[in-house]
Amino acid sequence: MMRSLRCAAVAATLAATGFSQQHTAARGQKEFAQSCGFCHGEDATGARAPDLVRSPLVNRDSGGELIGPVIRNGRPDNGMPALPLPDNTIQDIVYFLHQRVKQAAGSSRVGGDYPIERLLTGDADAGRAYFNGAGKCATCHSPTGDLAGIAKKYAPLYLEERILAPRRGVVTLTVTTPAGEQISGKMAHLDEFSVALRDESGWYHSWSREKVKVEVHDPLQAHHELLGKYTDTDIHNLFAYLETLK
Amino acid sequence: MAQGLDPAALLKLPTDTWPSYNGDYTGRRYSPLRQINTFNIKSLTLAWAFQANADAIKSTPLEVNGILYFTVPEQVWAVDARTGRQIWHYRYKSEAGDHIGHRGVGMWGNWLYFETPDAHLISLDAKDGHVRWNIELADVKLGYFATMAPLIVGNHVIAGVSGDATDIPGFLESVDPETGKMQWRWYTEPKPGEPGSETWPKDGDAISHGGGMTWMTGTYDPSLNLLYWGTGNPNPVLAGDARPGDNLYTCSIVALNPDTGKLEWYFQPSPHDTHDWDAVQTPVLFDAEFGGKPRKLLAQASRNGFFFVLDRTNGEHLLTKPFTETNWTSGIDDRGRPVGLKEKEPHADGRLLLPGSDGATNWMAPSFDPALGLFYVVARRVYSIFYYTATGKPEGWAGRDHNLYEESTIRAIDYHTGEIRWSHELGPGESIAGILTTAGKLLFTGDSQGNLLVLDAATGKTLWHVNAGGPMFSSPMTYELDGRQYVVEGVQSVLYAWALPE
Repeated sequence: MMRSLRCAAVAATLAATGFSQQHTAARGQKEFAQSCGFCHGEDATGARAPDLVRSPLVNRDSGGELIGPVIRNGRPDNGMPALPLPDNTIQDIVYFLHQRVKQAAGSSRVGGDYPIERLLTGDADAGRAYFNGAGKCATCHSPTGDLAGIAKKYAPLYLEERILAPRRGVVTLTVTTPAGEQISGKMAHLDEFSVALRDESGWYHSWSREKVKVEVHDPLQAHHELLGKYTDTDIHNLFAYLETLK
Repeated sequence: MAQGLDPAALLKLPTDTWPSYNGDYTGRRYSPLRQINTFNIKSLTLAWAFQANADAIKSTPLEVNGILYFTVPEQVWAVDARTGRQIWHYRYKSEAGDHIGHRGVGMWGNWLYFETPDAHLISLDAKDGHVRWNIELADVKLGYFATMAPLIVGNHVIAGVSGDATDIPGFLESVDPETGKMQWRWYTEPKPGEPGSETWPKDGDAISHGGGMTWMTGTYDPSLNLLYWGTGNPNPVLAGDARPGDNLYTCSIVALNPDTGKLEWYFQPSPHDTHDWDAVQTPVLFDAEFGGKPRKLLAQASRNGFFFVLDRTNGEHLLTKPFTETNWTSGIDDRGRPVGLKEKEPHADGRLLLPGSDGATNWMAPSFDPALGLFYVVARRVYSIFYYTATGKPEGWAGRDHNLYEESTIRAIDYHTGEIRWSHELGPGESIAGILTTAGKLLFTGDSQGNLLVLDAATGKTLWHVNAGGPMFSSPMTYELDGRQYVVEGVQSVLYAWALPE
């Protein structure tokens, strides 16, 4: 739904720091790990000292004005020593912490770089058997035909999602008028009240549902129905099989 | 002469006044008005339209003394409820914070209460929209924002907060309507050692970063003096192993004393949620027979696909039944709570969930018709795939959930048994239109195709429809002025008012 927009909006709000490119995340991570990692964890999520990604002070900081003094002066009451690091190092650490906050706030945005190893828990042979058997995929698809090389076309995460919810499938309709005339074409609109299509010549027609019969031909129908039938194991097996189609 | 809200109006069923987000304290969104009814509905016509020229309207307008007050993020309008002409318009500037939507204002006397994307609460003078005071409810820099319509109970303005992209504690706050000064604050997470804290890990910071936002407006029983509020899902959202335990009081219906904020009882529709299934759907109140005895009831059709009925005096569990197909539970425990299957929690390789993350229902308003004894809900069959993607300590959303396929229905639930009396198919897509029912035996709603629908509340049969030009993302309301009943529906950036011809 809107959660990725929600996370993006929050991430943008949190990360409006205006740092220049000299403060790279990589250098900041190294310096953080060196000076702060022992207590705060190498990724700043806490160890014997608090999780800084969740720290209100870190979240409120915009350019190091809050974080800097804490690094330099420490928190003697809480057992944090003063760290009189060079200004540049402190800015790198500040930048790194802002990046970590942004990452957490944007952690729903996972894309095509999601590692395939985490997805490949299925058995490709079982997937092939499902493809040709219970899944009835072979009714419409062929590993040497339309699915040849499919694993090269999509990043692994997107391939798995597209098996479940393909994007391309043009619905066609056949409308029968009261006079018995049949018109077929690509669906333009269909709801409880009206139906519309574009005929072979590309012209648009519409009718009231009360007046005509409608047959719907949805090439993705089988995919929708499979959602009610798959086990997670079926999905992982099928994915593993399709990943062999390079 | 003042045209503010007479507090007595808050205690009545909505007829000439719709004084709060849900129309009255019960949350039934049922109006006794019957001028528009099953016999004359085919004559329903447009009384007026107001074009806001703004984002899609997701708020329910208030109607008080002939003036409608409604919102989008950052903006409030006052519009003449008889003619649809603008009276005043207020705009707040707030670059920070999520502008995803806004549910409306609360009203007390001559003053309105308006939440902002940067998590402020503002009081406006209802006659002209000028600002009386502006307080910070929560720090937007921590990930909070605010969208809900505050509820006014006595001299308490009760305001909730939003934001589950970061791991922050949810809360409900009561402020003084005159000054904005905080009266009490109730946190969704208990402090370590307090009752409920045993449902969080003993060590670590999970309990103080547990989420549970108060996204929506609750309900209130004046005779019991109890507020009923739903709370949001726990954080980190998709990462259950980071917070073993039921995670109270996230995904809970809580009964709070409005004068003190003290928790009187709770029920948890989604213990240890890992699918973004908050329990902020309206806790609808009605007095009716259950099990052969008259009882004070509370019912919720929850985002996770289950319908719950409780005794609202003490939270006693009475009924749990799915109102739509689900694939994530092994059954219901002896406390009436659905038991989640471990394998259906998000895993690195993806798990198929029904309902999906958007929920079997969501924030769109349900309705209860006391004459028919039917609870109406926008019920969706939504499939999603959930991935647990975090490496290291999970924070924030900590995973990906992706919608695969959706279909929507309107369902009428018999509250005695949870049986579905009728189901009206709305077709593919997620309907986000709420429901209004009236004594005219009518049910007002919309579908995801841009149609506004009026159904026969007893049978679900379509009696009237119109293509309003875009899907309705709000919930309908109704009022009667000068002997004419109006039904008002915000559709995208247009407010439509329907009535019988004059």
